[in-house]
Amino acid sequence: MSAAPIKIAIRGLTKSFGEKHILRALDLDVRAGESLVVIGASGTGKSVLLKNIVGILTPDSGSIKIDGEEVVGVTGHARDRVNRKLGMLFQGAALFDSLPLWENVAFSLMSAHRIGRPEARKVAMECLKQVGLQKENAERFPADISVGAQKRVGLARAIASGPEILFFDEPTTGIDPVMGDVIDGLIVKCVKELGATALTITHDMESARRIGDRVAMIYEGKIVWVGDVDRIDSSDNEYVDQFINGSIDGPMSALIAGNEGR
Amino acid sequence: MRLLQAIGSVFLNFLTSTGRLALFTGLSVSHIVRPPFYPRLLLRQIIDIGYYSLPVVGLTAVFTGMVLALQSYSGFARFNAESAIATVVVLSITRELAPVLAGLMVAGRIGAAMAAEIGTMRVTEQIDALSTLSTNPYKYLVAPRLLAGFIMLPCCVLVADIIGVFGGYLISVHKLGFNPAVYLKNTWQFLEVIDVVSGLVKAGVFGFLIALMGCYHGYHSRGGAQGVGSATTNAVVSASILILASNYLITEAFFAQ
Repeated sequence: MSAAPIKIAIRGLTKSFGEKHILRALDLDVRAGESLVVIGASGTGKSVLLKNIVGILTPDSGSIKIDGEEVVGVTGHARDRVNRKLGMLFQGAALFDSLPLWENVAFSLMSAHRIGRPEARKVAMECLKQVGLQKENAERFPADISVGAQKRVGLARAIASGPEILFFDEPTTGIDPVMGDVIDGLIVKCVKELGATALTITHDMESARRIGDRVAMIYEGKIVWVGDVDRIDSSDNEYVDQFINGSIDGPMSALIAGNEGR
Repeated sequence: MRLLQAIGSVFLNFLTSTGRLALFTGLSVSHIVRPPFYPRLLLRQIIDIGYYSLPVVGLTAVFTGMVLALQSYSGFARFNAESAIATVVVLSITRELAPVLAGLMVAGRIGAAMAAEIGTMRVTEQIDALSTLSTNPYKYLVAPRLLAGFIMLPCCVLVADIIGVFGGYLISVHKLGFNPAVYLKNTWQFLEVIDVVSGLVKAGVFGFLIALMGCYHGYHSRGGAQGVGSATTNAVVSASILILASNYLITEAFFAQ
């Protein structure tokens, strides 16, 4: 595994919102073909990290390289070219509620890849099948299906264009544990079938253990521990120990108190 | 000292908002003329803005024309100038009332809907999703709406001109006892092309401004349902104010001696 090339290289990534410093010179590598899970408490910068990588936010400083190509500050067609390598499942699925499910899945095929509607529909139906949705659902709208089903459609949309890198933003948030298990299983299956690199952010340890090959712990905008998922229980890292045990006492107590006060 | 600080803060906020709006407008307009284009989305917006606004614009125009005829009659009868009613109705409708009232009605209907739709897309991360799907939100969401607003409000106003004049005709002929042929002759006699064209130019500008305000406030909405609500209100209020202000400027440009 260690011989695999670096797919995403992040160096000195810094992002602030006004006086609030979210990412503080964060360094992280994601190797090609691996599934890396970033864990951390709420408000530690997980989502901001992900949004900086996919180009939704622009970092204040630092470097993000995808396949060795710098993507910070890249806009327009060059950014679109980079984004064609990416697929993302959003926390709330972020499906377009004015479009039926199959058009949601086929969106990037028709819009960015300029594939005709009949062919894009075929691919969408195949992707919906892959995530366990029957073809009868294809014409329904996002508001007509459950949150769990929306996550499935979001996953189908993320994989539809066959991306090299998949991002998952809190994939099991807002759904019951059984559905969470199903979604995690689908994520693992899809990532393997595509041979993609995956970066997931979550605070759900069960999900992290199911999805990840490696785990990185983020705290106060920095990565404080990285290791293989099977080493997480013996990490000897006080932040990781407090997080996985769900303990109130520990080095993150100040952050927990701050979150409660919000 | 605090007063100065407060004034400075308001001024800086105003400059920031103006700059942000200018950037938004420039970027959006540039995407109208640069490929790829989304004709299906443009068609949908054309139907939404144009076709579905026709009933409300038509009703506004017919009642405005009727009221205008009645009011003109009660005023002009005092100095025996009833024959000028047809001319007053047609000039008022084509130059001012049809574009301004249609603009205000469409601002309430379409501007609010655009702000709510795009605002909801913003707070539910749908706009972020567009970016990750290699689709420019300006091109996909904003450009078709601006273009459709610019094209369709003049079409609505042209219909409103006809319906508004018809409203005045109805009251003048059937209630006030005017001769139909004479009324129509008076309507056409003093109507010039510039009267209609100035109204259509106004409508094009108003349509663009309505769509711009709806998209701008929706695109920058924050904070869930409350943010979307504020965006909707701001879109309607700012579009209405801009319609009235730009109406003066365009009138000045066309008719100032």
